Amino acid sequence: MAWMCLRAACAAVVLSVMAPAQAASPADTLVVAQALDDIVSLDPAEGFELSSVQVFNSLYQRLVQADPEHPEHLAPTLASSWQAAPNGRSIVFELKAGARFAGGHPVRPEDVIFSLSRAVKLNRSPAFILGELGWTPANVEGLLRRVDDRHVRVAWTAGVGPGFALNVLTAPVASIVDQTEVSPRQAGGDSGNDWLHTHSAGSGPFRIRRYLPHEALVLDANADCPTGAPHLAHLIIRNVADAASRRLLVEVGDADIARDLGPDQIAALQTSETVKTVEFPSAVLHYLMFNAANPANPVLRNPALWEAARWLVDYDALAGKLLKGQYQVHQAFLADGFPGALETKPYYLDVARAKAILAKGGVPPGVTIRLDVFNQPPFPEIAQALQASFAQAGIHLQIQPLVASEVYARTRTRSMEAVWLYWIQDYFDAHSTASAFASNRDDGSKTVAWRAGWQIPGLTVLTQQAVAQGDPARRQELYRSLQAEVQQASPYVFALQERARVVMRRNVQGYRQGLNADMVYYDRVSK
Amino acid sequence: MASQDDALPVGDGFGIRMRRSGVLLARGALRLVVTVCGLLTLTFSLSSLSPIDPVLRVVGDHASRQTYEEARHRLGLDESWPLQLMHFGARIVRADLGVSQTTGQPVRSDLATALPATLELATLAMLASAVLGLSLAFLTAARPGGLLDAATRVFSMIGNSMPAFWLGLVLLYVFYARLHWAGSPGRLDDAFEYTVDHHSGLVLVDAWLSGIPGAVSSAVQHLVLPVIVLAIGVTGKVARMVRAALLGEMGRDYVTLARAKGAGTARILLRHVLPNISGVVLTVLALAYASLLEGAVLTETVFAWPGLGRYLTTALFAADTPAILGATLVIGICFVILNELTDRLISATDARLA
Repeated sequence: MAWMCLRAACAAVVLSVMAPAQAASPADTLVVAQALDDIVSLDPAEGFELSSVQVFNSLYQRLVQADPEHPEHLAPTLASSWQAAPNGRSIVFELKAGARFAGGHPVRPEDVIFSLSRAVKLNRSPAFILGELGWTPANVEGLLRRVDDRHVRVAWTAGVGPGFALNVLTAPVASIVDQTEVSPRQAGGDSGNDWLHTHSAGSGPFRIRRYLPHEALVLDANADCPTGAPHLAHLIIRNVADAASRRLLVEVGDADIARDLGPDQIAALQTSETVKTVEFPSAVLHYLMFNAANPANPVLRNPALWEAARWLVDYDALAGKLLKGQYQVHQAFLADGFPGALETKPYYLDVARAKAILAKGGVPPGVTIRLDVFNQPPFPEIAQALQASFAQAGIHLQIQPLVASEVYARTRTRSMEAVWLYWIQDYFDAHSTASAFASNRDDGSKTVAWRAGWQIPGLTVLTQQAVAQGDPARRQELYRSLQAEVQQASPYVFALQERARVVMRRNVQGYRQGLNADMVYYDRVSK
Repeated sequence: MASQDDALPVGDGFGIRMRRSGVLLARGALRLVVTVCGLLTLTFSLSSLSPIDPVLRVVGDHASRQTYEEARHRLGLDESWPLQLMHFGARIVRADLGVSQTTGQPVRSDLATALPATLELATLAMLASAVLGLSLAFLTAARPGGLLDAATRVFSMIGNSMPAFWLGLVLLYVFYARLHWAGSPGRLDDAFEYTVDHHSGLVLVDAWLSGIPGAVSSAVQHLVLPVIVLAIGVTGKVARMVRAALLGEMGRDYVTLARAKGAGTARILLRHVLPNISGVVLTVLALAYASLLEGAVLTETVFAWPGLGRYLTTALFAADTPAILGATLVIGICFVILNELTDRLISATDARLA
């Protein structure tokens, strides 16, 4: 009997292995293959990693959000309208009539106050964004007030205008959370943070059905979403760490969308009849930075080195030949496509000019600089290209490939000499990037300028003036002049801007993605 | 009929054996405690030498000095190193491994998911390797220098030299993408993966318990390729090492005597030689199993298998100290237990050590 059972089991195994495996995602489900290992928390007050930020638009909504089609314009979302106070220090929002959370509870002014104040009080990684409004754990509740059943007043103490405040409120950290659903799940005064790590309580087009860390995030459609129910019933984001495996999944049809494929993989799929590659703008900028505060290598403080470096990067070869069109040349700190971005590209590879600048600036030939880079493609390849072009001017770049966490650690402690990094802005306002690159208040806020050891009291004041400027046109003008100054005289060399390429099955329609990391929209996807 | 005097030594023998077992068990437990303490102290010391600031990992780049200090205090990093180690040890005793900074989950619950996933993969690969490797070892030892021997040598060389991630991708391309015989990377098809509840963490068991038609078949299809990739690497080693041990015994007097008495090669190998090399066989299998438990990271990455190797690697790259220490603890305990079990099995099967 036991022998018969064993034989039956063996036969079942053989038959199941020989049977054709399923090779299509379910018709009502969108399956996305990407790396999810970076997710720390799915609480919008805490999550600040790429994968969690990319999913917040599917789970939560803010009072106002960037219009998916025209991100430079604000779209009413949970607020149907708003009115700024004459003094420019507060806004009254009218909540959308009949708006409900996925759990069925109505969206109330109390939810707005609870959500924004809990984000400030929890004080996790993204809380600094709301801190730009002068909100602190001590004062935030006093600045948020219920006016009536449908109106809420949001005030701030920082010297910024309503335009900037509205942009700050579009950040995922300002997502509105269902207080009625979260309150019973609070533990030890955590405002539901522990529960929200793996659950959702928002009004977005989807809600979390199941989250398996390192495995998958499974979402179900929210039919009551105030901006309309999504077209598909389920969204599964699968953690597939290996890019080659992601490519196979989308080719075969077990995944509908694959993210972050390498240039070679995308090139190989160009002739595929089953998948297409769609290109989206991305605000990710790549730049070289020298650390002027490093006492071990005095040449790093020499502006002649910074100036010469701008003429020692072969921008076109990097973007075109080496990185196969996944990047475009961009030489200013605001990404192309962003309101107020400087589009001029004055620099190109000119070794003779760089040599002259170095000689005039007193930089001796044969100088050695240690260059830290991430040890993952394409960074070592970029570093080798830089090494070759810098060597032509007598500068020896000693490449140090390091794991990402070590690159960040060395940069944060200013122990690097030079580093190739990328920048993703934290929220959709020019101040997010300007305050990092053109402001060094030396008050403990470790901006990029601080990490570069760049002392810029004048630019720091200008940056503050720009954020306080109420007139949008004048504000953009101020940012253009800031970019021009940084482009010409800083220890940074802005070189490349990413183009996000997403591979998807040909039957997938309606996927939208914007400049910022959080601007990923699955609600209009059909297949 | 046995006299009272005859019975006494039997009773004493039983008591002696019980006492000996007790002593052995106590020694084993002591070895486990000492090894785990040493391992954790070493890992904890190495983690503290890391240049990566775990506080920044928690509070982010933009945190104020006050937030930074609060988080540092909350994590206990403002204490002296010996105090940190002592508190860490006290938490371990309470089975509290802390919270992973990369998943935001308690390390204990992360490990409860990752360990069964790896155990399932490694055990199935080990079983496949043991059956295939031992069969090849006996067949090639019976005819050394034959065609099968040469083929096994080549297979072993390929298994040892071929990178697991490359082999995995090739197998996926052929059997999943082209022939559609095997499942995709992952543990189940999308139709089942998120409807099958995780009771045991073992996908075969959970799929079977779910009762959903087709779930077990899907689990098997997804297991086949990663098991093959892991087994190929181990089978060659098992076959070559056991073959060498078998051939080493074939020139001994007792084998010559058995031949003279008319025993065939198969009988000599199985009845006479195998009991004498059981220690070698068990040691080879135990070492192979141990390497599968912690060394399957590349296979787990290619096949999107949420196992222990990938969990530890992700934690290492992120300097996630609680996760690193938790995974190290589990792997260390697995090694010690495996070692003890192997020693006991060798003692039980080798008459010279009994």
